[in-house]
Amino acid sequence: MSDFPTLTLLILLPLAGAAAVAVIPRRRSELVFPTAVATSMLPLAVAGYVVWEFATGEAGFQFTEKVLWFEPWGVSYFVGVDGISLLLVALTAFLVPISLLASASISDRRKEYFVAMLVLETGLLGTFLALDLLLFFVFFEVALVPMYLIIGLWGGEHRVYAAVKFFLYTALGSGLMLAGILSLGLIAGEQTGSATFDYTALLALDLPYGTQVWLFLAFGAAFAIKVPLFPFHTWLPDAHVEAPTAGSIILAGVLLKLGTYGFIRFNLALFPDATVDMVPVMVVLAVIGIIYGAVVAIVQPDLKRLVAYSSVSHLGFVVLGIFALTRSGLQGGVIQMVNHGLTTGALFLLVGMIYERRHTRLIADYGGIAAVMPWFAGAFLFVAFASIGLPGLNGFVGEFLVLTGSYLSVPAGAIVAAFGVVLAAIYLLWAYERVFTGPITHEENKLLADLAPREWAALLPMVALIIYLGVYPKPALDRIEPSVDALLERIEQTTDYVVPEFGSSQSGGEG
Amino acid sequence: MMSFLGVAVEVVLVVGALAVLTADLIWEPPRRVLGVLTGATLAVAAGFGWLQWDQTVRDGNASLQYSDMIALDGYGALAGLVAIVVAAAAIAAAWSLIVEMEGRSAELIVLMLLATSGVHLMAASANFMVLFLGLEILSISLYVMAGYTRNRAGADEAALKYFLLGAFASAVFLYGVALVFAGTGSLSVYGIAQFFVRSLVLQPAVLVAGLGLMIVGLAFKVSAVPFHMWAPDVYQGAPGGLVGFMAAMAKLGGFAALGRVLVVAFESRIDDWGPVIAVVAVASVVIGTALAIAQTDVKRMLAYSSVAHAGFILTGLLGADLGSMWFYLATYVFQVLGAFIVVSIISGPGSGPTPLTSLAGLGKSSPRLAALMALFMLAMGGIPLTAGFVGKAAVFQAAIDGGYLWVVIVSLIATTAGLFFYLRVTVLMYMQDELTASTARSDGPQRWSLAWCSGVTVVFGIVPWPLLNIVREALPL
Repeated sequence: MSDFPTLTLLILLPLAGAAAVAVIPRRRSELVFPTAVATSMLPLAVAGYVVWEFATGEAGFQFTEKVLWFEPWGVSYFVGVDGISLLLVALTAFLVPISLLASASISDRRKEYFVAMLVLETGLLGTFLALDLLLFFVFFEVALVPMYLIIGLWGGEHRVYAAVKFFLYTALGSGLMLAGILSLGLIAGEQTGSATFDYTALLALDLPYGTQVWLFLAFGAAFAIKVPLFPFHTWLPDAHVEAPTAGSIILAGVLLKLGTYGFIRFNLALFPDATVDMVPVMVVLAVIGIIYGAVVAIVQPDLKRLVAYSSVSHLGFVVLGIFALTRSGLQGGVIQMVNHGLTTGALFLLVGMIYERRHTRLIADYGGIAAVMPWFAGAFLFVAFASIGLPGLNGFVGEFLVLTGSYLSVPAGAIVAAFGVVLAAIYLLWAYERVFTGPITHEENKLLADLAPREWAALLPMVALIIYLGVYPKPALDRIEPSVDALLERIEQTTDYVVPEFGSSQSGGEG
Repeated sequence: MMSFLGVAVEVVLVVGALAVLTADLIWEPPRRVLGVLTGATLAVAAGFGWLQWDQTVRDGNASLQYSDMIALDGYGALAGLVAIVVAAAAIAAAWSLIVEMEGRSAELIVLMLLATSGVHLMAASANFMVLFLGLEILSISLYVMAGYTRNRAGADEAALKYFLLGAFASAVFLYGVALVFAGTGSLSVYGIAQFFVRSLVLQPAVLVAGLGLMIVGLAFKVSAVPFHMWAPDVYQGAPGGLVGFMAAMAKLGGFAALGRVLVVAFESRIDDWGPVIAVVAVASVVIGTALAIAQTDVKRMLAYSSVAHAGFILTGLLGADLGSMWFYLATYVFQVLGAFIVVSIISGPGSGPTPLTSLAGLGKSSPRLAALMALFMLAMGGIPLTAGFVGKAAVFQAAIDGGYLWVVIVSLIATTAGLFFYLRVTVLMYMQDELTASTARSDGPQRWSLAWCSGVTVVFGIVPWPLLNIVREALPL
């Protein structure tokens, strides 16, 4: 590895982009959109470089940079990337340009909007890359403020209610997490002689069982709200419905993954004893989320709300995979985070496109529009299939790994969760049927235009990745696998838990 | 020379105040001259504050002065420097109000300078009598300031309320001092600390009662629950341009004295006062937050928020960690000052009540003011990359270290609830349309003050380490 601070560059580039957008004078506001989109390509390029240069087969952190920041507190600027965070970083850098492309119609306070989006990107990238717990917390919170503004300023009719609810839910969780982080730093101070928030140093701590349990709960509260895990999910439909399209894409695509990522990175790795004992609770909550989210999605009259509830269901799969504590379950959980980001991001993008044309998201206001928008209908059906988990598309890989992995350790959970796949087919295909097929039921829908070039530009990269990850997930899984294995090994070493194996089957992603 | 340094800050401030007063009496100079005189006074006082810091912290030459009445140490020096900077920013921001007072403008400056000297005296006192003198100098100045726009009934009411309750609290404090004297035979901060080293207290009842009464008196000054009742009425009624100064100075003086009393004099009795402070802190945070949510007036809301902040700062004392307390205090005073400057610009410097709705649509009509207000709100809410977050992290860490995890957890939950009303301000400013066309315009000095307040909030939020290092060195003797 060279000494070049690649990751710092990656974190700062969106901020530089935000600054560039911010200095554009009012009278040249037509420059805002192209500048924002162009600058958001730079982090994507750097992220691509990181994915390319990432050494597969290594479990540890790569591209690490560490600068001691404040010695008495043991705080350092410490960033690095491993198999678990790598794809999420790439996903973030990938989704931001797309969501910016989907924001061309923002007219009110245009400049501020793009600044907020780019600042949000910095916060998200920083959260995935931070390896110092206080730094992680700072980025975690920093991502919150622009998202709050994006929902509250550029959202729909009830945006203020949704924004405040979103902010308060998340802030409550992160408050408890802060207490956990500070305690952890002090415990480290007692055990090693100097306080530290360094993730790798904290891994070496020997935490008593009781401490582990309550730290698990403190961190878990923040992440469970963020995921959101049933029953902490009620902020999500409100936030999604009110957020502008780009906000929804980032919210579903990346922000929710902060929760699942946090579970893997902190709860599993730092509190293994507590994790092993918490498996039943987490699995039950995850399975309830899968079924409940899907059932509620079926009856939604509003397309965006439908997709929002489908997120609750899909994220349940991710949590199930994580807490199955098996190799394929955990791998599936990680890859499913990326898959969900792509498919749900694409669904929100599509819903946003149709909303821009008709200014309604109610399923009942459409019907038969495949006749006037064939390409759009095709794209929607394609993404819906990916979301359902049709073999050959990305959703299948993740759900298959999660279900096989969880069947090994929690068979009952896996069996119930499998119904979630069936329910997904029901709510998405039924929605498709009501919106696109049959005769056109509303006069005003007869003049709807099909996909414009800019919309193609936003959709095609997503479609390409959906197919690629579905057909050939091996490069992605190769990068995830060593880190996942190392994590499970750590759990086996520190607890009595034995990771169940499935004969010799592993990473059977192509299946 | 060395002994003069111990009281140099007070002497300069009082001489400066007298000079302003005399000049105004015999010559009635233009306001600008008074401004220059005030600025020079503050600059010289700050210079002596710096000398104190230089001698005590850098050369490690802290000492007791004047028969152990005054402590010349980093703790007092830091308090003086912070208070002088706050005073400079507050006087600049209130300059339009001072000019508006015409014949009485010099007296307002004098009161502000005297209050500043009172704060430093409280922080630097090594004897409870000197502490009480400082307390009274500060308090009486603030009582007068509360009613300074006396043609408005609300201001009279605020001043009278503040004076009656404040005088009562001072008396309670003094009674506490007497009981402590009865218990230990000493009025000296360090004498009492020594007393606990030398003697075994078999019947601490009188002593503990005295300590309790002293805590009550000081808790009143910092508006901690259950002695906070005066704060909302006084904040709302007092002239808008002065409330920020009053809030900041009362907190500075009160907490500087609390730190000196609890952590220096009564350090060995931490098991006696620790639980009391914990309960007061939690009650302040919870009740302050809960009542702030219910307010419809910005100034009342900020008053209750300052009650909650008093609780947060007390949390830092639980770990007997004066450094974390100072960090929180030194950054919070600028947040509260900045917030009140914005409020006074919107509602006018002399006016009292400021309904929350007067902030509606500020994001459109005065984007810069709105951005600053939003910054101060986020900082008070404790969002990272503002000094408010670092301060909270610091005091919470101190409390966890002191074994008061439950206090931290309750405070964190209250912090989240508190975000609700801080956010409501941003919602009003940015997400709603204005009700009445705003004519709010800031003048030059106000802009400088606001720039300074926001600068402190942002800079020490992003790179808090220099200040954290400074406050860790600002230890009492």
